[in-house]
Amino acid sequence: MQKKKICLLGSYGVGKTSLVARFVHSMFADKYHTTVGVKIDKKVLTVDGEEITLMLWDMAGEEEGAPVKLNQVKDTSGYLLVADGTRAKTLDIARSIQERVQSEVGERPFLLLVNKADLKETWEVQLAAWEELSGLGWTVLETSARTGEHVEEAFVTLTSRMLQAQVASEEND
Amino acid sequence: MTEDLLAAFSLGVFERRADGLFDAIGKLPAWLELPAKAVDLADTYPILGIFFAEWEEKWDGISDVWTEPAGDGSEMYLQATAASINRQRFLALKSLPEAMYTYQQLAHDFELEKEKVERLSKELEIKRQEAERATQAKSAFLATMSHEIRTPLNAIIGMADVLAGTTLTGEQRKCVDIFQRHGVNLLTLINDILDLSKVEAGKIELEVTELDLVDVVTRAMEVVEGRASAKGLYLKQAIAPGVPRYLMGDPNRLRQIIINLLGNSIKFTEKGGLEVSVTEDPEDRRAGRLRFRISDTGIGIPADKVDLLFKSFSQVDSSTTRKYGGTGLGLSISKQLVELMGGRIWVESRPGVGSQFYFTANFAVQADQSPREEATTVSTSTEAPETLLSGMRILLADDSEDNRCLIELYVRDAHLRVETAENGAIALRKFCEGHYDVVLMDVEMPEMDGSEATRQIRQFEKETGRSATPVLALTAHAFAEMAAKSMEAGFTGVLTKPIRKATLLEALVHYGGREGIVRAAATPAEPASRETNVVEVEDGMEDAVPGYIENRKAELALYQSALEHDDFDSAKKMAHKMKGTGAGYGMPRLTELGAAIEKASLDKQGGQLRDLVAQLAKYLDNIELKYSK
Repeated sequence: MQKKKICLLGSYGVGKTSLVARFVHSMFADKYHTTVGVKIDKKVLTVDGEEITLMLWDMAGEEEGAPVKLNQVKDTSGYLLVADGTRAKTLDIARSIQERVQSEVGERPFLLLVNKADLKETWEVQLAAWEELSGLGWTVLETSARTGEHVEEAFVTLTSRMLQAQVASEEND
Repeated sequence: MTEDLLAAFSLGVFERRADGLFDAIGKLPAWLELPAKAVDLADTYPILGIFFAEWEEKWDGISDVWTEPAGDGSEMYLQATAASINRQRFLALKSLPEAMYTYQQLAHDFELEKEKVERLSKELEIKRQEAERATQAKSAFLATMSHEIRTPLNAIIGMADVLAGTTLTGEQRKCVDIFQRHGVNLLTLINDILDLSKVEAGKIELEVTELDLVDVVTRAMEVVEGRASAKGLYLKQAIAPGVPRYLMGDPNRLRQIIINLLGNSIKFTEKGGLEVSVTEDPEDRRAGRLRFRISDTGIGIPADKVDLLFKSFSQVDSSTTRKYGGTGLGLSISKQLVELMGGRIWVESRPGVGSQFYFTANFAVQADQSPREEATTVSTSTEAPETLLSGMRILLADDSEDNRCLIELYVRDAHLRVETAENGAIALRKFCEGHYDVVLMDVEMPEMDGSEATRQIRQFEKETGRSATPVLALTAHAFAEMAAKSMEAGFTGVLTKPIRKATLLEALVHYGGREGIVRAAATPAEPASRETNVVEVEDGMEDAVPGYIENRKAELALYQSALEHDDFDSAKKMAHKMKGTGAGYGMPRLTELGAAIEKASLDKQGGQLRDLVAQLAKYLDNIELKYSK
């Protein structure tokens, strides 16, 4: 069975751990608990008829003085950038992480998840930002770890992209 | 010994085998639930795979920390250290105490909370600005609407006033009365709404000027006197000894509050009466802290409805509107005004017994409390304004034919000379060519508006050395800003549409009258303006005639009252007596008038009767007795 690594990257407090908990354990906890280092979880998934073990690297949120540890991202097959719709600056952080991953690690399939869609009425993230990112070819999903909105879809979509990327690179070889 | 030491430090130590698997050295700590031999640590802890690759060359280093679930549902934080001795490669796993990360958790919690608070305050600020914009839009809307409503209302009320002065049947008079009453009610309502919107928009600033407490209370009571006496209610005032009379504050707004409360009380009181009392505020003994009480003997207010009273557009129950009228805005305005005066308003009430409305307000106390001379009242003359205005020359500029027509009708009986202009340019030309005592100038007109025309009139007066002619602005804008703009343009005063006949005549007397009276009295060219009725008193009648005239004068009030109540019978009786006696006292004119009034009363011709009574009044006022001796 294939194993694929997915990193969850983004600022602290955006809901990376909660997205994994929702996806793997169908659970949601209201209380915020900061992630120390990295927390690795697994989930077996059938995508495009193929059974795959996803290794989910839920990495400590980036903050000033503690950037994402790119050495842990190096061998990832794809990544989810997570931002918090209620905090506009987390979208900037996600974009900055993406630039660093792109230049240090290289092209990998990724999605941007703008999380906390259940609090949409208090969102700061503007529609204009969406359109700009879509223009850059980014796939953006509004997710809610609380309600589960688009969570499964995010992981499945990314995995499917990773598999396509794999086929493409094998054909190139 | 070594094993005991490893156990004491709670370290899990392994040796790496040639095949990449690990064997434990000694006993593993309990938190490491791993077999002792041939453990694939890179599989168990995927993060170690990364570090094993980094350490491959030289087995030496410390890994990043990672999180693992602990057996009890909590988490543990692990870290690996690599070391080699000779060619043997060792790995130690340790569990870091949770306390090392407590600070990080707290810092994140704090930062997230802070961001949330910042976000909420930003949202609040945005909402506040939105509300402010909405309020401004509302004020602008109301200003526009007031203009649009007042203009036709002007025509309706004005025409009703004109109609009321003509000969009407009883039924017609009733209809006109209804027009007048409802027109005025509507006007009051519009004024209330405007007032409230201005207070809400923070547009009302209280004046701080000299204020005579007794005068404010008395005048407020005068305003409602008519309504109170019509219901047979008494009105009392009691200003406690020691309350300073001369204050600094806003007399108009204070009077407005008292009138609102009195008006409200009258509405809900059928017998007994009302009292306004003023004392020092028992809860705040500082000078100038006053407490007002307006008490009535009305129906009272149920306790659970008291809170609703001071809210906009809320009445105790919706049937109140139908039964007692009003919009409930007066109390809401009063509350806002009281708060602007640094006080509060409340009510104590018992259903069936009556209500006491209280409010407190803060004033500065004038140093000099010695009694002043009574202020001269606006109009001390008992003569009708029409008489005072006779011969006055007026220039009227208004683009609306209806308005010009209305004002001309208003002054028809006053023997004025009215010149009209359809716009500012025409008005300016006519002004320069002629001589006028007063100019009535509509503000909004095509071609040249009233402000510009007035500016140019002032310029013309300056250049030619003429003294300033009173120019009164006619505007439907009730807002104070409009008044201020008018003053800048050089207007002498502002008349807000709809203009009532009485207001116009008073304004004309006030602004142009003095000169007019002097001219009427001093210029022989216009002798016809005032009639003199010479009555020759026969010998032996010297003592009787003046008393007879006084009695007829006293009857004028009774005629008025009869007119108001359509009491034609009383009017007929009085007129019949006069018909029979007038000529006998040397005044055949009174006999004529008596006959005419008797007939009009018999025919129930209210309008005609009114005219005749006016003629009677004028005749009586201008009698000059001539004694033969």
